[in-house]
Parts: sequence; structure tokens; C-alpha cells
Amino acid sequence: MTKSITESKQPSRGPAEAPVAQDVAIFNAFTISSTLWLLIATSVGLLLSFKFTYPDLATNPYLSFGRLRAIHTNDSFYGWASVALTGLAFYVAARSSGVQLQQKALAWAALWSYNIAAVLGSITLDLGISNGSQEYREWVWWVAAFFLLAVILSGIVVVATVMARIGREIYIANWYTIGAFIFTTILGITAAIPIYQHGLGQVAVQAFYMHNAVGMWFTFLALGITYYALPKLLNRPIYSYALGVLGFWTNLVFYPVIGAHHYEFSPLPWWFQTIAIVFSVGMLVPVWAGSGNFWLTMRGGWATIRRSLALPFLFVGIMYYFLGSTQGTLEALRSLQAIWHLTNFTVGHSHLTMYGFITFIAWGGIYGLLPMATGKRPNAILVGMHFWFAFLGVTIYVIVLSIAGTVQGITWANGDPFIASVEAAQPYWTGRAVSGTMMLLAHFIFAYNVWQMTLARKPNTAPPETVGAR
Amino acid sequence: MKRQGMDNVLVLVFSSAVIYLFLAIIMAVIPGAVMSRIPPGVGVVPLNAAQSRGRAVFVGEGCSYCHTQQVRPLAQDRVWGRPSVAGDYAYSTPQLLGSERTGPDLTNIGARQPSEVWQSIHLYEPRALVHGSIMPAYPWMFIAKAHPNPGDVVVPVPPVYAPRGEVIVETPEEQDLVAYLLSLKQPPLPSPSPLSP
Repeated sequence: MTKSITESKQPSRGPAEAPVAQDVAIFNAFTISSTLWLLIATSVGLLLSFKFTYPDLATNPYLSFGRLRAIHTNDSFYGWASVALTGLAFYVAARSSGVQLQQKALAWAALWSYNIAAVLGSITLDLGISNGSQEYREWVWWVAAFFLLAVILSGIVVVATVMARIGREIYIANWYTIGAFIFTTILGITAAIPIYQHGLGQVAVQAFYMHNAVGMWFTFLALGITYYALPKLLNRPIYSYALGVLGFWTNLVFYPVIGAHHYEFSPLPWWFQTIAIVFSVGMLVPVWAGSGNFWLTMRGGWATIRRSLALPFLFVGIMYYFLGSTQGTLEALRSLQAIWHLTNFTVGHSHLTMYGFITFIAWGGIYGLLPMATGKRPNAILVGMHFWFAFLGVTIYVIVLSIAGTVQGITWANGDPFIASVEAAQPYWTGRAVSGTMMLLAHFIFAYNVWQMTLARKPNTAPPETVGAR
Repeated sequence: MKRQGMDNVLVLVFSSAVIYLFLAIIMAVIPGAVMSRIPPGVGVVPLNAAQSRGRAVFVGEGCSYCHTQQVRPLAQDRVWGRPSVAGDYAYSTPQLLGSERTGPDLTNIGARQPSEVWQSIHLYEPRALVHGSIMPAYPWMFIAKAHPNPGDVVVPVPPVYAPRGEVIVETPEEQDLVAYLLSLKQPPLPSPSPLSP
């Protein structure tokens, strides 16, 4: 794939043996910035989890549940996961294309724009200025505009880099990441235009928006990163290119149709909900194609996975992609929604997917690829501690909230007084606060590891985890 | 090999953008436009000025994260009122259907709990009225003072929850919020709903 040319003489469009210093700086900056947002978002999340058990804790307008809840979700989504995955997407685009990152100035501008959005978004929400409690689009339009600008700029960087590639084929990872930037640009504009969003019409748009923000942005980015990092770290080719292509197109066609399953039994037209349920079942095709492809790529590689720092994160991410998405299909069935809808089961599901899947893939990508870029490896024991605290933390989290949601749904179905559902969920909320503490602890360890991989002064000689395969 | 005709990347960009744009139009733009024009149901009226300001407080404080405003056509939802229908939401922008019911549904709260005094005490300290409630308290929507001025509305907060030697007085913001909550009443449907269980 690569041609022999010395690193010092790399032309900007020429083949690259190793990432140039400017590209490493961009990768570092995106990772560090996203890590800071992860700490902020999950510290807020932990405070919120304690408020379920101690409702009079931190009674203050700026620390109240209703304001912080949106800050927790938006900063997790747009400050942490989006920025971390964009930085990885840049690295993947450049390395898989055998060139430097193109349009570096736009990459830096995107990082600023992401951060301006997250800062302004956090401040406005904390002041009670919001676009309505519509999940993942609580930011007012002029805050969301900065995020959209960052997405567009990042998309230009990735497309320009892939266009400058050596060779004709576009590596499958870049299909997914390029798709993410395109779809999210269209999605952001669709969601921002107010003229067709009144009353129930806004509910219909929100149904589309909330699921697409997750599915067409984070899922596509995380799958793209996995299609590069997994074969790279295992030092073997992806099992099936064709399954990857199948997954791309089926994700694209099925995902945008399933949003209304968030509003089952609502006044949205019944047929509109039914279509969403049918396509939710259809989602099994891309989910099983993607996760199956990754598992077949990993087959027999257990020894490598166990020795690796990064691969266990990818392994968990793929496992929870499969479990979380399959659970999503089951949840969409009306018989189950009747019990689980509007309960904590949904919160468990969103953490299974956004944390167990998306965040673990981001961590796997960072631990796998960042040391290759910087030449600085993290401490293996600390990476292991991060892994186990985060893995056990999210697993306990999802289990206790799934039980809590089931208990809530059953007390409602029994016709018990409403407060019975609150009291029945209390022990599980305590369990959530405990598992949340484990997760936040993991994030502080991760932050230290990021520092070790980026800014820490250490000899620049450590070998990257694996070398070779593209 | 490179740059003969259109780059594959641009083919990918344009083809996937066209497909997604099409899906966005049929799944979001058209349904949004059509459902935005659903006329208000019989008896569904716009909010007055105070209620609108109160609704803005409700939105800003994120009340919808725990309180839905949608009654489902399910047996367990009968306690909240009749099943919601499309015409109920004609004046409801931003929409507040909600996704979680950590607290009770509020679709019909103005009919279920019509007492202004109850609502005010409950906002000041929910646990003063509902044992086991985990709703946040909103003391910053009230003013504690030693002696009320003429015209002040004093909230009869139980003494254990009130600051010693002071009375709790409503603010205009709190009065607007309560006005909004009390406005949440389901008008009866003119004919039996086909969705009624």
C-alpha cells in the first residue's frame, strides 16, 4: 500500500509512513478536548443520580435536575462523543488513505466550533434557556449552529483527505465516517427549520431527529472507526468488505424510518408508529451484518485481544452494539413498549448503546490509535483499571435500570398509586449511583491515560501496539 | 488511475446524500408539515399571557424530563385522563409530550389537582405534601421574608419546612407557572374516541 519515501520529505499529498506532527497535534487536541467534556458531562450525571435518592441535595437553580439533565446528555453527546469520534475519523481518513490530513485549518476551526457550541450550550441550558425539553436538541438554534458548522467543516476535512488518497478504492471505514458527516448536516438543517414544526408536527420531527442523531451520527462514526481500528490492531483484514457495504446501505435506508418508535401509543398516526416498528425489526439486518462481520474478523484472535490494551474496549463496544441494538428492536414491539415505555428501562437502553457501544468504541480507537500517532503508550495497569471500572460500571448500570424500569412498568400496570413506582425503584437508583461512581472513576483514570499518551514528557520510542496491516 | 471522471468519493457523497434527503423529507418534513396543521380540538384554547410565561418557565426548568403530557390508550393510563388526541396539541409548541414518567403525567393536572395553594406548597417543597416524592424543590421561585407586604401572596408552608420566623411569598414567576399548570385540563371529546379502551 505505501510507497517508499522518507518521512522528512513527505509532500502534503504524498504517501505517509507515519502521521506528520501537525496531524498528531490535531488528534491530540480532539482527544484532550473530548476527554474534558467527558469529565464534565459525567460529573453532572453522577450528581443527577444522587438526586434520585437525595432529592434535596444541591437545591439551587443552577444545579437543579431539570437543567442539569440536558447538560449531561448534550455534553456527553456533543462535547465528548462527537469530538472524540471526529478526531478519530480524521486520523482514520488520513492513515487509510496513505496521506496527510487535508485542510488542517478547517480541522482546527471545527474543534473550536465544537467547543464554542458545548460551552454556550451548557451555559444557556443552565440559565434555563432551551429549545424545549426535546432530547438531544435542547440547545437553542444559535448554539446548535456552531455544532452544525463543526460537523460541516469536519466533513470537508474528511472528504478532502479521502479524495487525496493513494489508490482508487475508498476504504470502508471512510464510507461510514463520510456518511455520518453528510447525514448529520442534512439532519441538523432539517431539525433547525421551525416552519413545519408546530404541536404534533414537532413531535413527528422530534421522533425523526432523536433517533437519527444517535443512529446516523454516532453509529456511523463508531462503525467507521471500528472498521479501521479492529483489523489494524488484530493485524488481519476485515472478514467481509461486502457485509460492510451491506451494513452501510441498510443502515442508511432503515434507520431514518424508525424514529416514531419513541412515540408509541402517542397521538401520532397509528400507521406512522407501525412503519417505525416494522423498520425497527429491519434494523436487525445492519446490526447483525456489522457485529457479525466484526466477530468473524476477531475469530481465533482471543490471545491477541487479551494482550491488547485497546481491543478489549472494541470487543465490549461490538458486543454492546449487538445487544443494545437488538434490545432496541425488541423494545419497539408494542406488547413490550406497553410496559417499558416512559420508564427507566429507556435510560438503561440509552446507556447500553451510547456508553457500552459508542463510548467503548471511542476508547478502543483512542487507546489503539493514539499511541501509534504519538509514540507514547499509557500504563497497562491503569488502562486495565479504566476498562474494568467502566465495563462493570455500565453493565451494573444497565441491569439495575432495566429492573427499575420493569418494576415501574409493572406497578403502573397493576394500577398501584403512582408513588409506589417511585418507592419501588429507589433501591435500583441507589445501585445506579454506585455504578455511576465506578464509571466516573474510570473516566478520571482515562483522563490520566490520555495525558500519558499526549502531553506527558516521555521518550518518544515506545513501539505502537501493532504495526503492519493497513 | 485516479481522477478519471468523477471521484468515487463524490459519487458516494451525492448518492447517499440524495437518499438521506429523500428519507428526511418523507419521514420528517412532510409529516411535520401535515401534522402542524391539525386544527385544535373542540374546547382546546390558546394560553393567555400568564399561562404562556408559565409554560416558558416549565420548559426552561426541564419539567418534561420527568412529567409526560400524553395519555396513552392503555388501561394503566386511565388514571391520567382520556387518551390524548392530535387536536389536543394544536397550541403546544415546543411540544412537551416527554419521554419519561418519573413523576405523574400532567396532561390533566389542572383538573386532577386544581388547588393553587397545593401547587405552590408542592413547588416550594414537594415532600411537605407527598411522602416519598423525589421531585426537586423550587425555593428560588419564592421569597422568604419576615413580614409580608400588602398584596403579597403568602404560601402556607408547613412550619417544619419553612425557615424559622419567616413567611414564604410567591413570586410572579411562580404564579405564572401555577397558572400554566392549572390550565392543563383535557376538554371532553365531543364523541366517544375510537381509541378509548
